Amino acid sequence: MEQYIFRRIILMIPLVFGVTTATFALIHLIPGDPVELMMSNARQLTTEEIDRIRDKLGLNDPLPVQYVRYLTNLLKGDMGDSVRSRSPVTYEIAQRLPDTIILTVTSILLVLVFALPLGIISALKRGTWIDTAAMTFALLGVSIPAFWFGIMLMLIFGLHLDWLPTVGQGKTLIEFTRSLILPSVTLSLILLGLVTRVARSSMLEVLGLDYVRTAHAKGMGLRRVNFRHALPNALIPILTIVSGQFASLLGGAVVIEKVFGWPGIGRLAVDAIFGRDYLVVTNTVLVFAIMVIVVNLVTDILYTFIDPRIRFQ
Amino acid sequence: MEDSIVEFAASSDIAEQIRPKSFSYIAFQQFIRNERAILGLVVLLLLVLAAIFAEQISPYDPYKTNYSNVKQPPSAEHFIGTDELGRDGFSRLIFGARISLVIGFLVSAVSTTIGVVLGAASGYFGGAIDMFIMRVVDVMMAFPLLVLAIALVAVFGPSQDNLMLALICVIWIWPARLVRGMVLSLRETEFIVGAKALGATETTIIFRHILPNVFPIVVVQASFLVADAILAAAALSYLGLGAQPPTAEWGSMLSNAKELMRILPVMSIAPGLAIMVTVLANNFIGDALRDALDPTLRR
Repeated sequence: MEQYIFRRIILMIPLVFGVTTATFALIHLIPGDPVELMMSNARQLTTEEIDRIRDKLGLNDPLPVQYVRYLTNLLKGDMGDSVRSRSPVTYEIAQRLPDTIILTVTSILLVLVFALPLGIISALKRGTWIDTAAMTFALLGVSIPAFWFGIMLMLIFGLHLDWLPTVGQGKTLIEFTRSLILPSVTLSLILLGLVTRVARSSMLEVLGLDYVRTAHAKGMGLRRVNFRHALPNALIPILTIVSGQFASLLGGAVVIEKVFGWPGIGRLAVDAIFGRDYLVVTNTVLVFAIMVIVVNLVTDILYTFIDPRIRFQ
Repeated sequence: MEDSIVEFAASSDIAEQIRPKSFSYIAFQQFIRNERAILGLVVLLLLVLAAIFAEQISPYDPYKTNYSNVKQPPSAEHFIGTDELGRDGFSRLIFGARISLVIGFLVSAVSTTIGVVLGAASGYFGGAIDMFIMRVVDVMMAFPLLVLAIALVAVFGPSQDNLMLALICVIWIWPARLVRGMVLSLRETEFIVGAKALGATETTIIFRHILPNVFPIVVVQASFLVADAILAAAALSYLGLGAQPPTAEWGSMLSNAKELMRILPVMSIAPGLAIMVTVLANNFIGDALRDALDPTLRR
């Protein structure tokens, strides 16, 4: 098993390399002179001054040299400075990252709490009105724009009923939790429909397998067959889906953080676009990709604990 | 004697019943028997008509500001009221259908075409081409696609065309992966090996034998990509990265309506409902197409 994990980590290296190459390319795709962008707020510079700054920043070096420097700086945790705040990008991102993680983790928990039982019940009650209702709900879930769903929640629970805050983040623990409710419920919508569908189909598939029939034939109680024998195996594809869709969850978080004024790295990136703070934009994108890679790695390692077949390969 | 039997059989309903039916005939039959598909089709058709004849249907010019008539609540004259510049919300909603539908269909069609070409090349030729394309796809998969699209729009500069370009840049990988996988398995099937043994050229194999088999599944995916593109475009426009003001577009209407949420909630409700109805209609059609075109699902 250690060998499997080790191999999995080694396989991650070229991917991280590819991802950093992509963000490096993104930085160089930005039209306009980086120095002028950087100094956009300052006074007009002469050509000599710009050239001197370019030299100092190494922008006159050949691309491969710049690329190697980019990578070594990243390894040291140096992502350059933000144009707007003048503070290191690493610091800006590190400060906001926990809020994004809290938001996404809460959403995943909400998805599991709501979608799993819903999918499993509709599989067990296949063909009944419960099944139809759950599947209609799932279809609506994938067809509603998540950010609009957030706006609707804001209208109902924030403005109309005045139960919950609509924007920003609370300072005390209670206020914080209250302000987390609407954004995380909104974000969970992105996976709710999909996970309900997958839970249902994966449960249905397992229920049709031979060992489940054997369990029934032995005269085992229905409850025990369904929940002790079938359910654990039905959960494996759900883990795959949740981990595979983690990227789209993060993508949704960017928009939803903006809707609710939640101070995560998604909102940081969007605000940076309009401030022409490109280093913040590209590095946030990089951090998002690293998060996806890490989550996929952790899931793959989790499999070895959950599914013995992988362990003995 | 025998002739008359053949004649009899040919003239009767029995012949009609026993004649083998083509794949597309069965698929079509199954599709039109699906109530949701018909509903989706009708709704989509209405939306397309509204988009084409927006000038004729809209009660007002969607761009005409009227400062003596701002922030009006819904009324018989203005079905969903007027915005902060006095523009008629309902007219803007109708014109918004244009942009959403164009983005949805164009992005889906172009990304699917790119994806099919690259995916087929990757799966069929293998080797270095496959290596390269699949590594690019792997790297792109590591990024949340919406985030990558946002970054690309940031680089290209926010506009509706750049939004479409960015979405195409990130969406093509889905059809590419799908087609590659299918081509890889098709390449090993007996009928392709047989065709090769009979001396069929590579062009014949790809265009006569492989692509027709891939086509139905690709159509199903493309129909879902329309919905995905519409949702993604609305989200990006909401962030201000799509159609620029004063363009009537659903996503940017929603972001505009934020200021009016307290006094005119209907302005926040209507554009979202429009997006939802469009996407739902597409998903109905997509689901029905999948049931009709995927032979592995056929009972």
